Amino acid sequence: MCGMEFRDYYKVLGVERSATADQIKTAYRRLARKYHPDVSKEKDAEARFKEMQEAYEVLKDPEKRAAYNELGSDWKNGQQFRPPPGWDAAHAQAGYARRGRARGAPAGGAGETFTDEQFSDFFSSLFGAEARHAGGAPRARAGRDHHARVELDLPEAFRGTTRTLELRHPELKPDGTTELRARTVRVNIPVGVTEGQLVRLAGQGEPAAGQGAAGDLYLEVHIQPDAQYQLDGRDVTVSFAIAPWEAALGAAVTVPTLGGPVQMQIPAGAQSGQKLRLRGRGLPGQPAGDQYVQLKVLLPPADSPQAKALYEEMRAKLNFNPRAT
Amino acid sequence: MASVTTAVLEARVLGEGDWIATTEVCELCRLDLQAVQELAGLGLIAQRPGVPDTSQVPATALPRLRIASRLMRDLGVNASGAVLALELLERIRHLERLAGDY
Repeated sequence: MCGMEFRDYYKVLGVERSATADQIKTAYRRLARKYHPDVSKEKDAEARFKEMQEAYEVLKDPEKRAAYNELGSDWKNGQQFRPPPGWDAAHAQAGYARRGRARGAPAGGAGETFTDEQFSDFFSSLFGAEARHAGGAPRARAGRDHHARVELDLPEAFRGTTRTLELRHPELKPDGTTELRARTVRVNIPVGVTEGQLVRLAGQGEPAAGQGAAGDLYLEVHIQPDAQYQLDGRDVTVSFAIAPWEAALGAAVTVPTLGGPVQMQIPAGAQSGQKLRLRGRGLPGQPAGDQYVQLKVLLPPADSPQAKALYEEMRAKLNFNPRAT
Repeated sequence: MASVTTAVLEARVLGEGDWIATTEVCELCRLDLQAVQELAGLGLIAQRPGVPDTSQVPATALPRLRIASRLMRDLGVNASGAVLALELLERIRHLERLAGDY
């Protein structure tokens, strides 16, 4: 827990420390409408929304809020923080002690989680990593299918990949006690899976008691944002820089795609922001997605006498007013 | 804790034509049965009829249900509001795609 920063949950939600439960709820809902990742186009929407969720998780719960308030009002957002001595012991009875995994589904493997949201180390240090599920309905049910989330990057989704999962489940021993058994399995994820899609591993869920069939394991695919490509369903969009003369006169260029570089013709008269479609170059499927190439015209700098002379000549001869088009 | 390593498993992607139990969907989307049935009643997803424990929904409906679930939980909208928001979001995305299409 070294290097942990204090989080001012009141500041995150923009409310006073004396705010009522209704004021906190209203503030959260107002901000949630603005930053909810499913509706927002704000650049940092997802990060802001996670902060807000964490703040609301604490401030909406009278017990958690009271515990948080015990830290005092002198802390500043971002200040280096360490829980006060004896914090765990003092708050364990309030139900904040760390809990084990809520159900015997797979654990481990890079990025596989059960929750939509990952709360900060600050939250975990105060309330435990599993506190957000405290008081919720019990999630374990004997003989059930299991669910897990698998994180892939875009190239892995395009070409398929393999993931190693550790599956844990309690097993009844002859003496009547139970033992937690773990199995490590390698799973081939097929090509062309998309965000939110389910893959099923038949018979890899919880073993049934007696002679019944074991449950299935469902993996829900989550594709991490890619630095180069934007994903929308099976379609991908890539931003592609071109020179003004390539836009004006047309050009044959080499464009990156998930399957490797391809040649593409830029039509004469292309404009910055225009999208060109490479059919079938998105994620594989029936039908395969498309790749959109969004053109971005970059101007050469006027950083030499020759370059300046060229711009002057264009100004004199082209009679072009971009605000008149 | 005992540990065993098994062979490589083949996963099957659930797509068009695959159905999953509504009760499974409830757990995957953190929705209760009534909410899923209400969303189905509002036309967000198809539902293959059956008694509550045996009814099914298309596997491809999962992403829409998850978004609806998040909107209901995080924004406090009811099922009708979530369906309306989802349909508008999909419409916006479709129009943006058309506007940007060459």
